[in-house]
Amino acid sequence: MIDVTDLKVVRQSRTICQLDTLQIGSQDRIGIVGSNGSGKTTLLKVLAGLETDYHGHMNGSPEVRNHTTYVHQSPFLFRGTVLQNVVFGLRMKKFGRRERSQMALAWLNALGIAHLAERSTQNLSGGERRRTAMARALAVQPKLLLLDEPLADLDPGGIDAVVRVIHEFPHAVVIASPVTLPAELSCRIVTLERQKPHFADAKP
Amino acid sequence: MQFLSEGVTHAFRLLIVGDAEVISAAWNSVWISISAVLLATAVSVPMAIVLYETKSWVSSSLVVLFRAALNLPTVFIGLVCYAVFSRQGPLGSAELLYSPFGVVTGEFMLAVPIVVSLTFGTLQGLDTRILETMRTLHIGSRLRWITYISEARLGMMVAVLTAFSRCITELGIAMMVGGNIKFHTRTLTTATALETSRGEFARGIAMCLILLLIGGCITVLLAWMQRTQESIRE
Repeated sequence: MIDVTDLKVVRQSRTICQLDTLQIGSQDRIGIVGSNGSGKTTLLKVLAGLETDYHGHMNGSPEVRNHTTYVHQSPFLFRGTVLQNVVFGLRMKKFGRRERSQMALAWLNALGIAHLAERSTQNLSGGERRRTAMARALAVQPKLLLLDEPLADLDPGGIDAVVRVIHEFPHAVVIASPVTLPAELSCRIVTLERQKPHFADAKP
Repeated sequence: MQFLSEGVTHAFRLLIVGDAEVISAAWNSVWISISAVLLATAVSVPMAIVLYETKSWVSSSLVVLFRAALNLPTVFIGLVCYAVFSRQGPLGSAELLYSPFGVVTGEFMLAVPIVVSLTFGTLQGLDTRILETMRTLHIGSRLRWITYISEARLGMMVAVLTAFSRCITELGIAMMVGGNIKFHTRTLTTATALETSRGEFARGIAMCLILLLIGGCITVLLAWMQRTQESIRE
């Protein structure tokens, strides 16, 4: 689905992200693991098309590029309620108002925050904000979902809900994390290091 | 000093009884400035959004030009409008010279750089994640523009009110393009200049009091909006 080769992102004469090769299949679960500053966020932004100034090659069909969604490490929520935020992405799809709300509520329910639907985004905790942003991204049904540290700030119940949703998601998911990801996600692990990455395929 | 205190007393009397000349000048000032600023906002906000979204040397150069235009003296804009609207000018047949619509056009030219520059500055100050989030959710341009306006509304309102306060207090355009015609193009500023030169201090002071009142209202409105925004953030 997406092939990345010899990727290198340089800023102010410093290599901030380097990767020899990465293939993403249509239903892959890939964990990008590395310490702070190893280039995980940069790699996700390159895959999302938000970072265009890089060396190397990235091949992917326009279909995938137009259906790739990225959730920030510290997600941004628009003014309004949680439900309005999740519906936001669906406004570009050809669904009726009621259908959009139902779909959004279904994702909020799956992530265990349906009770927050009418709450203002100004009054959410870090974990609630993260799950709201994730519901917004999942609702548009991307072919490739890019999640930057999705388990940070979450309580055990939140982690369970997110892991379950990611596990059941039918399309490709790439997760960046500074720590080892839960085994339930059965991710193929790509380790990024500050200088040069090496790969360890953790898939059984 | 006695003439000043008498002037102030007489000014209040004129305001209370609703002197026709004062009311006419005040009304002209208000509707001309509001029309100019509304038109300028309709043009400038989309222009600022396009400049913000288009990252090229052309857009950067235009932003510099708009910022430079903030320093244009109103008499220069008045002069340009006069040349364009006069009988020999390219728009002479439109008969805009010495008409309130001519003043609206001049004040529109004054307001556009203010609204574009301040709105652009506000958009630049927005969180970069807003644009990134909308791009990765593949949001179309219409919804994107609505979101920009929603997220940057305080800054945009400040831009609009700043333009309004500049338009309502300017003298050069109103005098040169409007011609200070009684009950037709006379505004608070041109009337103040005229009445003072004629020694009619009371009328001049009455006009100035209205201008100060409008300026005060705008300041209070801006402060209230800023407080509301801060309380929402908290």
